[in-house]
Amino acid sequence: MADPRGFMKVTERETAARRPVPVRIMDWKEVYERRDSGVVKQQASRCMDCGVPFCHQGCPLGNLIPEWNDLTWRDDNAQAIERLHKTNNFPEFTGRLCPAPCESSCVLGINQPAVTIKEIEVSIIDEAFDNDLVVPHAPERLTGKTVAVVGSGPAGLAAAQQLTRAGHTVAVYERDTEIGGLLRYGIPDFKMEKHHIDRRIEQMTAEGTRFRAGVEIGVDITWDDLKSRYDAVLVATGSTRPRDLPVSGRSLQGVHFAMEYLVQSNKVVSGIEVESQITAAGKHVVILGGGDTGADCLGTATRQGAASVTTLAIGARPADERPENQPWPMFPNLYEVASAHEEFGVRKYLASTIDFIGTDGVVTGIKVAETEIVDGKRLPKPGTEYEIKADLVLLALGFIGPETETLVAQIEPEVDNRGNIVRDSKWTSNVDGVFVAGDAGRGQSLIVWAIAEGRSAAAAIDVYLEGSSELPAPVKPTDQPISVYS
Amino acid sequence: MVNGLRGRVSVQVDGQMKTGRDVVIAALLGAEEFGFATAPLVVSGCIMMRVCHLDTCPVGVATQNPVLRERFTGTPEFVENFFEFLAQEVREYLASLGFRSLDEAIGHSELIDVNRAISHWKADGLDLTPILAMPSLPAESPMRRVTLQDHEIDKHFDFKLLELAKPALEDAQKVKIEMAITNVDQAVGTLLGNELTKRYGSAGLADATIDVHLRGAAGQSFGAFVPKGVKLTLEGDANDYVGKGISGGTIVVRPDRASVYAAEQNIIAGNVIGYGATSGTLMLSGIVGERFLVRNSGVTAVVEGVGDHALEYMTGGTAVILGKTGRNLGAGMSGGTAFVYKLRADRINAEALEAGELHLLSVDEETSHELKGLIEQHRNETGSLLASRLLEDWSNSVNDFTMILPRDYSSVLKIRSDAVSDGLDPDGEATWAKILEVTNG
Repeated sequence: MADPRGFMKVTERETAARRPVPVRIMDWKEVYERRDSGVVKQQASRCMDCGVPFCHQGCPLGNLIPEWNDLTWRDDNAQAIERLHKTNNFPEFTGRLCPAPCESSCVLGINQPAVTIKEIEVSIIDEAFDNDLVVPHAPERLTGKTVAVVGSGPAGLAAAQQLTRAGHTVAVYERDTEIGGLLRYGIPDFKMEKHHIDRRIEQMTAEGTRFRAGVEIGVDITWDDLKSRYDAVLVATGSTRPRDLPVSGRSLQGVHFAMEYLVQSNKVVSGIEVESQITAAGKHVVILGGGDTGADCLGTATRQGAASVTTLAIGARPADERPENQPWPMFPNLYEVASAHEEFGVRKYLASTIDFIGTDGVVTGIKVAETEIVDGKRLPKPGTEYEIKADLVLLALGFIGPETETLVAQIEPEVDNRGNIVRDSKWTSNVDGVFVAGDAGRGQSLIVWAIAEGRSAAAAIDVYLEGSSELPAPVKPTDQPISVYS
Repeated sequence: MVNGLRGRVSVQVDGQMKTGRDVVIAALLGAEEFGFATAPLVVSGCIMMRVCHLDTCPVGVATQNPVLRERFTGTPEFVENFFEFLAQEVREYLASLGFRSLDEAIGHSELIDVNRAISHWKADGLDLTPILAMPSLPAESPMRRVTLQDHEIDKHFDFKLLELAKPALEDAQKVKIEMAITNVDQAVGTLLGNELTKRYGSAGLADATIDVHLRGAAGQSFGAFVPKGVKLTLEGDANDYVGKGISGGTIVVRPDRASVYAAEQNIIAGNVIGYGATSGTLMLSGIVGERFLVRNSGVTAVVEGVGDHALEYMTGGTAVILGKTGRNLGAGMSGGTAFVYKLRADRINAEALEAGELHLLSVDEETSHELKGLIEQHRNETGSLLASRLLEDWSNSVNDFTMILPRDYSSVLKIRSDAVSDGLDPDGEATWAKILEVTNG
C-alpha cells in the first residue's frame, strides 16, 4: 500500500463522466468519457490494503484488487496488468459490464464510499492495450489433447484461453455468425463497443485457439459426434431461455422477448443487415422488467428514436441506500440509475401486467394493475387496473435456464428441476468427458461468475486430460455470493 | 496432578478462542481460565485490517486519530451479548456431555473425540498421545485449582514501613525511616505507595515526604510503582525490576559506603530497571542489566552503564547513561531523550539508525545545563565518583555526550512549541493536523 492515509485524504468517489445525454444518444458509442489517469490514480490511493480484503470475497474471480490498486498508484501499468490478468482473462469486459460486487464488499464502504475498483480495473487494461502490453501467450508445447468449447460467451472464452495456454488444442463453437455470445449480441455498444471483443479474439487466435462461428452443436454437428471428435467437451451455452409472460395477448404482433430485439439491434449497429428488424423508432415502447436487460432495451429504444418508453417492474422500487437487511459486505439490491435511465423514459414500480391489448392482431396497449403481495406472491390488485399505450412490448423478465433440447436428446446429461445442467464438484456432467461452466450450469448470473466458472472448469478439464493441473480454480460449482438469504 | 499441585494453580489458555466449543475443549484439556482477544474486538467493530500499528484503523478501534475514533461503532453491550451467547453454547455442550458445571469438565480429556482431527491430512504424522495422556491418579486428586496460594502478604516488609510512615500518611508530615533489607523482601515500597495514593491520589505528597534509607540487598521489584512523596535510598544492591512502573517517586541505589570497588565497573541492579515507568527519578550508581527503561514514558534516570536492548519502546522521559551500553540500543524508541557518554553508534538499533528514526545530536548549551544538573543530582544522591570526575572537567566531558532524540518526537515537540509561540492551542485541530502530516500518521 503506497499511502496508508490515502483514504483519509481523498474521501469521495470520482468516476469518469458520462457524455452529455443529447450528444450520446445520437450515436452508439460508449457513454463514458475517457478516464482521467490522475483521478484514477487518486482513487487507487484510497485502497486501504486491508488485512482481510473482503473485495477478494466479493469478486468470485478472487481479483488481487489491493495489489493492482497499489501498482496503479505507483504508475506501474506493466505490473498492474500482469497482476490483473492473473485472475481475470478479460478485464476489459468485466470493467465495463460487471455490477462490481467487489465494490459492495469494499471495506471502505463500511463508513465511506467504496474504492472505484471497477474503473481502476478498466483503466489498467485500456492503458495496457494502448501500451501494447497485451500480447499472446502461446503454450511452449502442446499436449496433443483436444477440447471443444461450446458457446463463446465469457465462460467459454475464459475456459478456452486457459486450456489453450495449458497446451491443449481448443476449438470454440458458436451458433451465431460471430464469436462473443451475449457479449456481442446481448450487450449494446453504448455499454461496450465490440472492438474490445475483436481485440481479445485476435490475441486468443494468435495463442492458438480455433474459432468456429456459425456452427450449432446438436444440429450441424451432433453432440455425440463432437464427443467422439474431442477428448473433452465443455458446455458453456449460457442461460438463454427467456422467462415468458403467458397472459392473454401474448401472441400479438409487437410483443417480443428483449433478446430478440437486442440481438437484431446489435447486429444492425455492427453493420449486418436484418430483415424486418424490430425497431422502436417512433413507437410507444413498454419494457417489462426493471433489470439490466430492461435498461439495455431502454438505451437501445432511445437511440432508435422511440416516442416514449415506459419500464414496468413488478416489485417495489429498491432503496437508494443499502437496506439494513442486506448489510455490508453483501451485494445489495439498490435503485440503480444506469446510463440508459438518465437518457429517456419513465420507470414504474409495483406494476403487474394483466394482459396485452391489441387490434387486428397487433399490440396497442397493455393492461396493468398495482402489485399486491398475498402470501408472498405478487398478484395484481383488483380495482387498480389501468392501460398504457404500447406499440412495442419487450419482455425483459430474466432467463430461466439453458437451452438443452438437443443436448438432452442426444447424450442425456442430467438436468435439475430448473433445467440447468447438473455438474459434480469436478465440473463434469454425468456424461464422461462432458463438462459444464457458466450460466448453463449455474443459471443466470454475473459476468464475473461466468469467467470464474470458465477458469475453474478449465482447471478441471486439464486435470481430466493430464492427471494434474497448474491452472487456477477460483470457484467451486456450488459457491454462492454471500447473502443472508442463502 | 500426581503430586496434587494442580490444585494450587490456575491454567489459562488463549489463542484462537472464538466459540463455546473452544472453551469446552480447552476445559476438557485441563484449563479453567480462557482468554479472548480477537473475537470481542471483532464484535466491537474490528475488521482485522491489521494496521493497528499505523494509526489508520478505519473503524476507530486502534487509533488515536480523532477523525477515525469518531467511527467506532462498538458498545460494551455488544461484547456482553457475545459472551452471553458464548456462555449459552458452553452450557449446551456441558449438558450434552453430562456435566453440571464447567468445573466438573476440567481435565476430562478422555471425552474429546480426536479421531477426525488426527486423520486430517494436516495432522498427518502428529502424535497427540502426550497431550491427551492421563496419569492414574489417587482418588480425590484435584483436576483444577481448589486452594489459593498463601503469599504471606501479612508478613510483607511494607507493613513495617506503613507503621513508621503513619505521620506522613495521616498528616503529610515528613518522616525519615532507616532499616535493613534482604533479598527475600520483594516489591518493597509498593504497598506503601498504594496506601499513599489511596489517600492523596495521583498528586501524591511533596518529594521525599517519606524518606526511607535501606541497607542491604533488595529483592525483586524494589520500589515498584512508588508514587510522588516516597523516596527510597538503598545502600547495597538490588535485583531485577527496580522502579518498575514508578509513578512519581524517587529511587536511589548506591553501593554500600564500606565497599571498596569502583561502582561504575560493577553491577548495582539487575535487568529491566524502570520498566513502564511513568514519572519520578531513578539514580543508580553502577551498571545495570538488560532492557533498561523499556517502555519508559516519563521517568528521569541516571545510570553508569547498561546491558543490551536499553531504551526499547521508550516514549518519553530522560535517560542519562554515563558508561558503556550493550547492543540494540533504542529499538522502537519513539519518544523521550537519552544522553549517552561516549556513545558507540554501532550499539544503536541498526534499523532505527538506518531509517533515520533516531537523531544523534551533540549537546547544545541549553541542554548542557540541564544535563549537568542531572549529573550533579546523581553525584549528590549517590556519591558517584564517576559523576564527580565528569563534572570536574565538564567543559570537556560535555563534548563526549551524544543526545539521542527520536525524529518524530522531536518534530512533535517543535510543532507544539511553535504553536504555543504562535498563540495557538498545542492540542488544537490545526496543530493535530500538522503533527499527523509530519509524522505520517
